[in-house]
Amino acid sequence: MSENLKKISISIRKNILLMAKSAGSSSAHIGGALSIADVMSVLVGEQMKLSSKKNGYSEDERDRIILSKGHGCLAYYAGLFEFGFLSKEDLVTFEKNGSELLGHPVRNKKKGIDFSTGSLGMGLSLGIGVALAAKKKNKSFSVYVILGDGECNEGSVWEAAMSAAHFKLDNVTIIIDNNNFQQTGSNEKIMSLGNIKSKWESFGWHTEQIDGNNIDEILSTFKKISEIKKPKAIIAKTIKGKGVSFIENNNVWHHSILTQKKYDEAINELNSFL
Amino acid sequence: MSREKYKEVFLKSLSIESDKFKEELEYNEIPEWDSIGHMSLMSDLEEEFNISLETEDIVEFGSFKKGIEILEKYKVKF
Amino acid sequence: MNINEKNIKLWSSIGSRATFGLAVLELGKSIDNLMVLTSDVSTSAGLDRFKKAYPEKYLDVGIAEQNLIGIAAGLASENYNVITTTFAPFQVMRCCEQIKVNLGYMKNKVCMVGIASGLVLGNLGYTHCCIEDVGVLRSIPNLKIISPADTLETVKALEAVVKNKDSSVYIRLTGSSNNPAVYDHDYKFEIGKAIELVSGEHIVIFCCGTMVHHSLEVSKILRKNNINAKVVNMHTIKPIDKEAIKNAIEAKLIVSIEEHNVIGGLGSAVAEELSKLGYKNKHLTLGIQDEYSEGGDYKYLLDRHGLSIEKIINKILTTMEKL
Repeated sequence: MSENLKKISISIRKNILLMAKSAGSSSAHIGGALSIADVMSVLVGEQMKLSSKKNGYSEDERDRIILSKGHGCLAYYAGLFEFGFLSKEDLVTFEKNGSELLGHPVRNKKKGIDFSTGSLGMGLSLGIGVALAAKKKNKSFSVYVILGDGECNEGSVWEAAMSAAHFKLDNVTIIIDNNNFQQTGSNEKIMSLGNIKSKWESFGWHTEQIDGNNIDEILSTFKKISEIKKPKAIIAKTIKGKGVSFIENNNVWHHSILTQKKYDEAINELNSFL
Repeated sequence: MSREKYKEVFLKSLSIESDKFKEELEYNEIPEWDSIGHMSLMSDLEEEFNISLETEDIVEFGSFKKGIEILEKYKVKF
Repeated sequence: MNINEKNIKLWSSIGSRATFGLAVLELGKSIDNLMVLTSDVSTSAGLDRFKKAYPEKYLDVGIAEQNLIGIAAGLASENYNVITTTFAPFQVMRCCEQIKVNLGYMKNKVCMVGIASGLVLGNLGYTHCCIEDVGVLRSIPNLKIISPADTLETVKALEAVVKNKDSSVYIRLTGSSNNPAVYDHDYKFEIGKAIELVSGEHIVIFCCGTMVHHSLEVSKILRKNNINAKVVNMHTIKPIDKEAIKNAIEAKLIVSIEEHNVIGGLGSAVAEELSKLGYKNKHLTLGIQDEYSEGGDYKYLLDRHGLSIEKIINKILTTMEKL
């Protein structure tokens, strides 16, 4: 199974690069999408109950995903493609005039996009509301929220964090893409997160810290925490730009133009992993 | 007569049965006599006895017994 | 709710917040998927009875208004009929971006009720007054804004919004207890349709919230001065009733009166329409003249900002002299 998920993560990375290239001079948030490609692969490939043709869960049963770090949308769209919500034709419309696939997700139920995000710090509150609804209606679906590490600067994240523990929401799992960078520099330099694990733990969350680019570890962690009766946080230590050597840990690629030449170079590298 | 009328207003205004009533009844002692119940009670007493209560008296009106004292100021005879 | 003379009188004496509490209690009986959310203001919003009667329909998220809107939107996205409430400045401005993104942009439908808006909490200072809410929200698409004239209109507005939720709505509650009644009997309330309360052919007064009652008193006194003022209750500021404004353009003087900054609220909305219609006469905007004054009680502040009946009359008369 993990072999299959590794293949999916490569496919996700290739599509991230394809969309970035299609965006041309509009540029794209590449680094922060590549970092979460493995998490996305596990979420859509194994962990989440989806309503697409492959899995066919109903509206009441399927899990919800909120990309609170909305600028990571290339990974999200690539994930939706893997599961039949988006087509290749859709992907190449990314950031084009009149497109439904913008640089941050815009709600579009037909395309499998449940929520509009992009303004950091808001997705977890939304997730709390959805999780509360599930509890009230006695539904067993889970809510997955992907946050950025820089996003944890926002006070609103902590309002939501506090309330999840207060409301005992064991049906919420967050994944923090801890790639150590935010827009203009490292977290350490801009606004130090301190001990992020102990922060979430002190807010009442069961917290795991893992290698967020290791599919086996991501898989086993989800299994490990599945029965925990608290809100769950996975701090996924990742490499921003993971998968493409010239993008890895190079914050220029937070938001940048991907030329045809660079695209070809990157695809060659990814192909060598197959 | 007035005492009976007075008790009737309490029962009707607060929507309580006589078994929940006692002469020692105080504001906030029962859920029906909360701040909203109180305003409703004041309004009904004004209508029943054809008077207009001063704000201070509305605030001081903390029990059934105290209410008698207050209404007597407005010439209601018990 | 039972709209009769007795209840109208009761609601007027307890004020709009407590009336809101009663109205929501009534809605809780018939609306299964109702959820009422607050930020640690249950008592202030008159919700103690609702909390006891329908604990499963009530949620307090603590003093965290950004979280309040996010959670409300999340619940609304799962088909709950959601009402949020807290003090107006926090309801609107602390979580303004959340309102934009979750309600305006994503179109999750939520009814937000801002309590104690305007100047009523003036002795607590301007952090607890709200003279900006309408102006701030007007520029967010997909959001309606209602300012009820009295406690009966508060009930009717809430019922109309909750029963027909085609977009998010902000309801602005002004006034204190002993909130003067504009309506003494039931009437037809329709979101977006202004109500002509008094007809008059000389001048037109567009008003909302507590200023409706003031405007009625003003019109009575003006009549004694042989000035017949039409008084129009503009309870819905967005979408504004363009027809009502169009019907006023022959007037030599249009007055807009609101317990809000003259920038951004009803006055601005009326001015925008008048400008489009090419209105060439005088439009007098009465309201708070873009300042945070010294504090004081409600009556003091209304007078301080020229919104007492006496000051409104003087302003109208002096303006008419110059026409």
